[in-house]
Amino acid sequence: MLKLTQVHTDISGMQIIHNVSLEIKQGEFVALLGSNGAGKTTMFRTIAGVLKPNTGSIEFNGTPIHRLPVHRIVEQGLVLCPQGRQLFPHLTVEKNLRLGAYPLRGNKIRIQKNLDRVYELFPILKERSQQQAGTFSGGEQQMLAIARALMSEPQMLLLDEPSVGLAPLIVQQMADVISNINHEMDTTIFLSEQNANMALNITDRGYVLESGACVLSGDCNQLKNDEMVRKAYIGA
Amino acid sequence: MDLFLQQVFNGIMFGSTYAIVALGLTLVMGILNIPNFAHGHLYMLGGYLLFFFGSTIGLGYWFGLIVSVAAMGVVGVLMERIVYRPLNDQPHINAFIAAVGSLLFLESFALVVWGSQGLRIPNPYPQMIEIMGITTSIQRLLVIIGAVLLIAGLHLFMKKTILGATIEAVAQNREGAMLTGINVNRVSAMTFAISAGTAAVAASLLSPIFMLSPSMGAILGMKAFVIVILGGMGSIPGAIFGGYLLGLIEALGGGYLSAAYKDVFAFGALILILSIKPTGLFGQKEV
Repeated sequence: MLKLTQVHTDISGMQIIHNVSLEIKQGEFVALLGSNGAGKTTMFRTIAGVLKPNTGSIEFNGTPIHRLPVHRIVEQGLVLCPQGRQLFPHLTVEKNLRLGAYPLRGNKIRIQKNLDRVYELFPILKERSQQQAGTFSGGEQQMLAIARALMSEPQMLLLDEPSVGLAPLIVQQMADVISNINHEMDTTIFLSEQNANMALNITDRGYVLESGACVLSGDCNQLKNDEMVRKAYIGA
Repeated sequence: MDLFLQQVFNGIMFGSTYAIVALGLTLVMGILNIPNFAHGHLYMLGGYLLFFFGSTIGLGYWFGLIVSVAAMGVVGVLMERIVYRPLNDQPHINAFIAAVGSLLFLESFALVVWGSQGLRIPNPYPQMIEIMGITTSIQRLLVIIGAVLLIAGLHLFMKKTILGATIEAVAQNREGAMLTGINVNRVSAMTFAISAGTAAVAASLLSPIFMLSPSMGAILGMKAFVIVILGGMGSIPGAIFGGYLLGLIEALGGGYLSAAYKDVFAFGALILILSIKPTGLFGQKEV
């Protein structure tokens, strides 16, 4: 479904992503592990089209997308739920969600259906649907960001560090919800995490990113038992 | 009492124009993150286009108004596309300079095409009427009614339609808007079209009462900045309220104290309000 071939990305002259190639199939749930500064966010922003790769290609469902503007990539069904959430702080929760369904504009029935679905997933958003998004706590904002990303019925969701800054209990809830999205809604998910423990417990397999290069990949049990991963990311 | 009502009426009339112009300025400011210094000059050009289509070509007032507003919408789109979009990823100072450049261009353009002499657009409704002791022409009443309709229409568009909501979305979080699938460039172009079009409406309503001159945009543009700062940067209710407030301050100050000092009252009020509430009347803190 998603295929990166020898992708390099520079930010103001500095090479951040080096020669990354990877492939994710329909329905998979894949982790992207790496410490702070490893290039996870840059890689996701490159896939989503916010940044353009200097060389290499990115294909989604067989079509090259690395030259397309962000909104065209969203229309194809590949949606990034960004780190820092990027909500509309002075708009209500419901407005934020409705804007998430912008690619479906005009299709009232589908938008309403998706709205009901995300409210079911995150009941707190329904309770606070008329509250301004900027008044939310970190965990609630993260839920809203994920819910907004789901509103356009993406085929594939890129989740950039959804657990960052959240209380441990909320992290567990978040992990459950994300698994749910993958299993029940059949959405392919690429999840980036510093919290390798959480990520490896819920995903099928993972890639390890270090200094912008993909240094390791494998299924989760394999990664969990890998000496380097244990030392660097699990702390055991 | 009659003098008071008369001045309040005049204040509301000028305030209507200020509110529309400031509203257009604030919308574009949300999108660009810098003030479009040429906004007052779009207003000026809107007045001249009404003169061109209505009088020179002879479409008459109402058809001339419609065509000039549509033409200004196109001018707004062109301005976004040619002047500001190429500077999107550049430092803000570049857009500042571009704004000043467009302002000089527009003023010189009007000077070359229509000359420095003031031009008069025939007043379509010069008849005087009397309401509650206020004597006024129908055209002046039309300025007030037209402004209310325009502001209400714009409000409905922004709050009730998803297309209108994209303007606020882009203003509040540009990257967030992209990631929800909004074509940010198209929203910018649409915002410029609305901004220039509404400035043309304001100019078309007011210009049968006052003469057109190439420099009229500069003064109004400056006042629109005062209003936007007064109301709170980027705040839409602030721009509307600030517009009417400034109109009233000017009219009452000018009527009771001295007409020569009316700009002093306007800028004095700005300094006073900002020293009490530095974010402006309706300014929102960053969340």
